[in-house]
Amino acid sequence: MKHRHSIATVVIFVLLLGSVAVAFWLLPDRNFSARENRALQTLPRFDAEKLFSGELSRAYNDYYADQFPVRDLFVTVKGALELLSGKGENNGILIGRGGQLAKRLFDTARVDKNAATDSDVIDATHLQNAAEGINRATRNAEVPLVVLLTGRTADVAASAFLYPAAESDKMLATLRESVDDRARYLDLVPTYRTLYADGEYVYYRTDHHWTTLGAYYAYCDILRAFGMEKDIIPAKSFQKETVATDFRGTFASASGFHFVPPDSVEVWLLGNEDEFLVTADGCVLDGGFYNRAHLSGNDKYSVFLDGTHDVVTITKKDGTDRPTLAIFKDSFANSVAPFLAQHFDLVLYNLSSPRTDYTDVTAYTRAADADAALVLYTLGNVIETDKINRLR
Amino acid sequence: MESMVFSSLIFLFAYLPAVLLLYYITPRKGKNLILFVVSLFFYAWGEPIYVLLMLLSITLAYLFGLLIGEYRKENPRRAKLFTVLSVCISLSFLLFFKYYNFFALNLSRVPMVNIPTIAGLALPIGISFYTFQIISYTVDVFRKDCAVQKNYINFGAYVTLFPQLIAGPIVRYTEIDEQLTHRRESAREFATGVFRFVVGLSKKVLIGDALAAGFVYFQDSLSVSPSVAGAWLTVILYSLHLYYDFSGYSDMAIGLGHMLGFSFPENFNYPYVAKSITEFWRRWHISLSSWFREYVYIPLGGNRVGTFKRYRNLAIVWLLTGFWHGADWNFVLWGVYFAVIIITERAFLLHLLEKLPRAVGHLYSLFLIGVGFLIFSHHDLRVAFSTFLALFGVGTDGFISSTGLYTLIRQAPLILISAIGATPLPKQLWERAQAKHPRLQAVAVALCILLFGVCVAYLVDSTFSPFEYTQF
Repeated sequence: MKHRHSIATVVIFVLLLGSVAVAFWLLPDRNFSARENRALQTLPRFDAEKLFSGELSRAYNDYYADQFPVRDLFVTVKGALELLSGKGENNGILIGRGGQLAKRLFDTARVDKNAATDSDVIDATHLQNAAEGINRATRNAEVPLVVLLTGRTADVAASAFLYPAAESDKMLATLRESVDDRARYLDLVPTYRTLYADGEYVYYRTDHHWTTLGAYYAYCDILRAFGMEKDIIPAKSFQKETVATDFRGTFASASGFHFVPPDSVEVWLLGNEDEFLVTADGCVLDGGFYNRAHLSGNDKYSVFLDGTHDVVTITKKDGTDRPTLAIFKDSFANSVAPFLAQHFDLVLYNLSSPRTDYTDVTAYTRAADADAALVLYTLGNVIETDKINRLR
Repeated sequence: MESMVFSSLIFLFAYLPAVLLLYYITPRKGKNLILFVVSLFFYAWGEPIYVLLMLLSITLAYLFGLLIGEYRKENPRRAKLFTVLSVCISLSFLLFFKYYNFFALNLSRVPMVNIPTIAGLALPIGISFYTFQIISYTVDVFRKDCAVQKNYINFGAYVTLFPQLIAGPIVRYTEIDEQLTHRRESAREFATGVFRFVVGLSKKVLIGDALAAGFVYFQDSLSVSPSVAGAWLTVILYSLHLYYDFSGYSDMAIGLGHMLGFSFPENFNYPYVAKSITEFWRRWHISLSSWFREYVYIPLGGNRVGTFKRYRNLAIVWLLTGFWHGADWNFVLWGVYFAVIIITERAFLLHLLEKLPRAVGHLYSLFLIGVGFLIFSHHDLRVAFSTFLALFGVGTDGFISSTGLYTLIRQAPLILISAIGATPLPKQLWERAQAKHPRLQAVAVALCILLFGVCVAYLVDSTFSPFEYTQF
């Protein structure tokens, strides 16, 4: 190597290390990452006990990573480079036509408790056990029970990706074949797939949830399954209000693909929303169905029923006596609930709650004195947990 | 415990600049002291308590070194006694912390034997590496291969030198004796180090980690639904990953050494171009195999003994090599596996391979290396065995799943590039081009810096962990 090249290399390298090191300490610390929706590590306090347990050095490692200068820019650059390399994905998030994002890898829960992490191969045994859980709950049910396992974006938006849908089809077929005839099991993924392919905006591009339109279709099918087809409120009766146009959801965060056009969020209003009393974990929600405070944050889907709670109830304020529907659900149900609340008093149990186990559908339906029950859970959660497998 | 790895932001942008600054503003006399202190800090970062164990180990070896030096001329018997004592003490630390629970657990399986295991007995980082360096010093002094190191700081700096402290290369004392006191730092040396470091960082971060992700994907898919191609890809991706990860780390260590004016021995020499397993082990983790040759094989008699004893020596060396990698049965089996292959090669296979077309030797070696790593990477040997059977279609659900094929196509460029990168070809081409067009040197500088920036982007991204807030 020529001398001047050596000098240049050394100078640039040392300046680079030095200036970043200095910039790191000069730039103010951030407490929160909007993109990641989590608190960032701030300067750890010295503590002898933590020093000897190794906790302190871990905290410093995290501090350095979390407060790194122009961190978000680096993440975007990495995402762009992954795209350029032709992988068509980053951090397990696929990117497809029209900027559609979808999570492809899941941690498969398995019978032997050794989850297969980051995989997309379907474990048939696990799914058969899930179907067995549905069958058991159906046998035990004392009231009409409908089960709706909603598709993951990768299942529904199949037409946007080169990524094959074969495993997805296998999963649906395994469930369909293993569920008893008696069960009112709604296999809606094919319907949504067609809707999506026809250009309907049924799932968000940047988030793993369905849109309000997607939720409306589910509402229609649920009513049909309960034999209430004639009660369905037509879509045109609602006044559709766009409450956000800059929604960048979980997929956008995880992938670092921040150039994808953001989603918009709609709420569908009938005009009688004020007539409902909504409580979450024992407290009344002032905003009723919608907590618009969430619209200014990153997680805009939380506008529906104020995000995650263990138990949510919806009744009419004037005490009108209506049939009660118990719903065992994850967050997908939050945007369906306002539609269903037009027909039922609702009790929603968070099946994914880390605190309480609501898998005993029969007991909780009885406890809610409900006249009907609905299990509404996403296939992503079916794969990653054993909640459905344990239904009874 | 989490040590400060080279591919972490805190190492690159806090520790390294501080070390370089301290090292270069300190006058010559104090440089080794600075190295000793910053290396202890480096170690204590991951092992705030076991750093004392390492210091004890160093101090004992230093004192024994003085004693051996004292007696090695007049009283070789006493010198030998001290050598044996010192080696035994060093080894006992290693044996206790690394192997006690393994032996306790397995001996307790014998009826009537019940040895309690010690819960929470953690393996001190790098103990396998620094113990071997210490032993090399003790033996080298005894053999009169080097002068006694009378300066505690210099000796401490030798053992703890942070670039090679926790994952090698294992630097034998004689290789570095001279450099401890008479090295010369220069811009050229430093720049060489920067290039080497960035190459190593890229190998690990850009290629090794991507290969690891592919490997994990295929391995975990295998556990759900085994396929023939999935099994092959598991083996291929793991072998490539391990090479890029480990040789990348060695490159970084060697590069850091250059930045500080040291020149460490090479640790890898394109192991996957080997035409036999014997040759593979001359190219893979060279500093370890040469340590075993120097301090186990040759003292046992090496090649200068009868056929039986020579094979016995090989068996001992490979069993120990396997067991050195970890206290578990799969590592024992791994050692036995290579012992059998290498003895077979010595007996007749090498001659046979030489007569056959070169491609046969290459395929033979790659296959056996891959199967070896299959044993290496599975503590649960039943899983290793079922993957091995899956290679030949036994117990599989099919050739490849649709999503597996998709992944393979997407990963093909990476696999291809990393396979080519594991041969000397890219380096040869680059050197030829540089000889023709000297201007490429400037391009190389720019490329090096750019590559470094890309690595940083990947490192930052790997710490980026969005909280999935609405999976409930």
